[in-house]
Amino acid sequence: MNKLKNTAKRLNRELATLFVLIVIVVIFSAKEPRYMDLANLIDIIEQAVINGFLAIGVTFAIITGGIDLSVGSIMAVAIVACGQLAVSGLPPVAVMGIGMLLGLALGSVNGLLITKMKLQPFIATLGTCSILRGVAYVITDGWPVLNIPSAFRSLFQNEVVDGVRMSMIYLLLMAVVFAFVLKRTRAGVYIYSIGSNEEATKLSGVNTDRYKIVAYALCGLASAMAGMVTLARLGTGEPTAGQGYELNAIAAAAIGGASLAGGKGSILGTVLGALTLSALRVGLVVIGMDTFYQYIATGLIIVVAVYFEVMKNNVIKLASRRRQLRQRTSPATSSGASADKKE
Amino acid sequence: MREHPPFQRKEGITMEPNIRFDHITKEFPGVKALEDVSFEIRSGEVHALLGENGAGKSTLLNILHGVYTADGGDIWIGGKRVNFGNPMEALNFGIAKVHQEINLVPQLTVGQNIVLGFEPARAGIINFGEVNRRADEVLNSLGCSFSSGDSIEGLSAGEMQMIVIAKALFHNARIISFDEPTASLSNVEIESLFAVIEGLKAQGITILYVSHKLDEISRLADRASILRDGKYVLTCDVAETPRDELVRNMVGRSVSSYAVRTMPSCVRDETALEVRNMSGPGYSDISFTLRRGEILGFAGLVGAKRTNVVRALFGADARYEGEIYVHGKKTEIHSPRQGLSAGIGLLSENRKTEGFVGELDNSMNIALAALPRLSGCGVLNFKKILDNFNKYAQAIRLNLRDPEVLTVNLSGGNQQKVILAKWLATEAGILIFDEPTKGVDVGAKAEIYRLMEEFAAGGNSIIMVSSELPEVIGMSDRVIVMREGRIAAELAKAELSEEIILSYAMGGVGQ
Repeated sequence: MNKLKNTAKRLNRELATLFVLIVIVVIFSAKEPRYMDLANLIDIIEQAVINGFLAIGVTFAIITGGIDLSVGSIMAVAIVACGQLAVSGLPPVAVMGIGMLLGLALGSVNGLLITKMKLQPFIATLGTCSILRGVAYVITDGWPVLNIPSAFRSLFQNEVVDGVRMSMIYLLLMAVVFAFVLKRTRAGVYIYSIGSNEEATKLSGVNTDRYKIVAYALCGLASAMAGMVTLARLGTGEPTAGQGYELNAIAAAAIGGASLAGGKGSILGTVLGALTLSALRVGLVVIGMDTFYQYIATGLIIVVAVYFEVMKNNVIKLASRRRQLRQRTSPATSSGASADKKE
Repeated sequence: MREHPPFQRKEGITMEPNIRFDHITKEFPGVKALEDVSFEIRSGEVHALLGENGAGKSTLLNILHGVYTADGGDIWIGGKRVNFGNPMEALNFGIAKVHQEINLVPQLTVGQNIVLGFEPARAGIINFGEVNRRADEVLNSLGCSFSSGDSIEGLSAGEMQMIVIAKALFHNARIISFDEPTASLSNVEIESLFAVIEGLKAQGITILYVSHKLDEISRLADRASILRDGKYVLTCDVAETPRDELVRNMVGRSVSSYAVRTMPSCVRDETALEVRNMSGPGYSDISFTLRRGEILGFAGLVGAKRTNVVRALFGADARYEGEIYVHGKKTEIHSPRQGLSAGIGLLSENRKTEGFVGELDNSMNIALAALPRLSGCGVLNFKKILDNFNKYAQAIRLNLRDPEVLTVNLSGGNQQKVILAKWLATEAGILIFDEPTKGVDVGAKAEIYRLMEEFAAGGNSIIMVSSELPEVIGMSDRVIVMREGRIAAELAKAELSEEIILSYAMGGVGQ
């Protein structure tokens, strides 16, 4: 029981996101019972896969205190590059491997720009966002890559059981691995502590540049996965794909508790955030609301979710200040108050 | 046009700007910063405020300027009781300050900075011609080589200070206080600052001058008042008072009974660290040795560059020249990583910004610098991390039930202990403590001293940078006194006294 309580405490922020998700599901199914059908729920997950990949990737960048605006463009480069490789007859698994390496490499370039050239993450990835978009166009001369072989498509599109496609399994696997990296490895601790206090981390003998590069590399890897899922799903490789997707990815991470100030966020939270956005979007379609309202609703969810976070912090701060005041006024506990001696 | 002050003030401007501090008392939680301080500053004089770190000089100035409100007592200026509630009130009354840290807006021009907040404007549209004309007027009167249209960026520290002074004159200040104004200035700039101060004095402006440098005091000041431990000691004529008498009156603050050694000194003959001719930004020719089991104190005034030296030793600031030998072996240290692998740890002066990670809990903060040892193939070994926590939390007497408490929620003293535990966990043999008890409550202070002793007794070595003289004298086996980036003296335990350390640190002897 105690252990359960501890787990709940640790997953506080994730539970809040889960709560928002459940509220959304409940509201929509009250309006339209079909929303609760298994097929529809699976569809919600299906719709969350691409954004899910991008979002768990960008979560790494955000936790280091940075951002990656180039995820949509990395995705596009992966789409056209892997599309051409697949069309050329390379075995699908090899294409997937190359695609993942490509993502790692492009992400590392972001990391190098940010650490070695000391560019601000926002600016560096704004730059690569545009550069890589251009690269995607150049690779195909602006034309889509057509006739993606079904062998490649089925690598992602095959259904394990009814409606559950391989791409969902890949996302699950990657989420588990990423969560493991963040919570159970040295790299993960360093990535959090870089985002929380880079100077203190560096002064603890950590090669902070290296771990920042790792974070952006993993972000690139996830983006490439998102690209390959898109490619398999559509059967054509559009160099225009993924435009504006970085904002949805950042939104999912923010809803899931990642702080753009760094040091906060989790893979579970981000996945829940992506599901929340997807549940909202599917819900609006199911109840027959105009798609224009999607944008408004998405924006509201972001603002409200993050505002809850701010409110919660304020409440905690207020409570602890009250506690301190009470301690200060009660003579028994007032000794040993620490204060910097002002000269 | 908005009625604008070049400043027909209703009051203040006509006053005789003499200042009387009348039984001023100020308390911060746990510390009496000022206790019943009364003295008078004559109109038109340059009056120096002297005292050690923590004597209460800055607090007194801050009360004068309305930054703090006194808990008791009054300030009288020109026979009028003026207890300012905020700095703006003081400025409007004609009291300006020129402080160490210079607050200018780098994006604005020199002239805009000078008139900031009081721009001559019509309907909200700034009249830039008027801005520059007025600003240049004051700048010319100060003999500045730059003009109001120049940008702030690219100006030296001394030139920026001139802008702050110009700002004070723009507001027609009759009283200007200087808090360590020469700390970041070059010699040439110091000369021109002194010329300006003498010029201000000639205009009948009253000047309060806080400095640690006795040279400056005897050159500039007419009279000096000395504070010690928040209490007023005396006021004297600078010309008639020998320097050693000034120093003698500044020292002798009540020695904290905690900063004493409880174990016999355990200095061994083996050398742990040798530094030869180290030079870097702001410091040069630093050579010393540190033996095993030794606590080596680094004394000096703020700005003596002690922190720069020890940060370079650890590799926190990369660039230095000279040689470092660790346990007899020449070692290159250019990053904290290299410092750590050479067996050196640094407890930085800035705990919050450099000491621990806010989002991590105690067990992780303590493990942070030793994670390679506490993980296998990059995967964390949580059992080892918890064992590590238990071992070192016990050593520092931290509550053992707290591995998952965020370090940021602890008191300053416990935070410092967590940071100490982090470095103990690295098993480094040389620890550098930069102001180890700054902002730490009395109880935790005593514990930190004991932990330092235990660490040294185990055959390890400590370099302790401290501005608290009782701490330096009480804890050190040997003391190096730095002044203006150089080693001014090396003092054995038997020679240590506040007077001697302070006179080397301030340059009172051996000139």
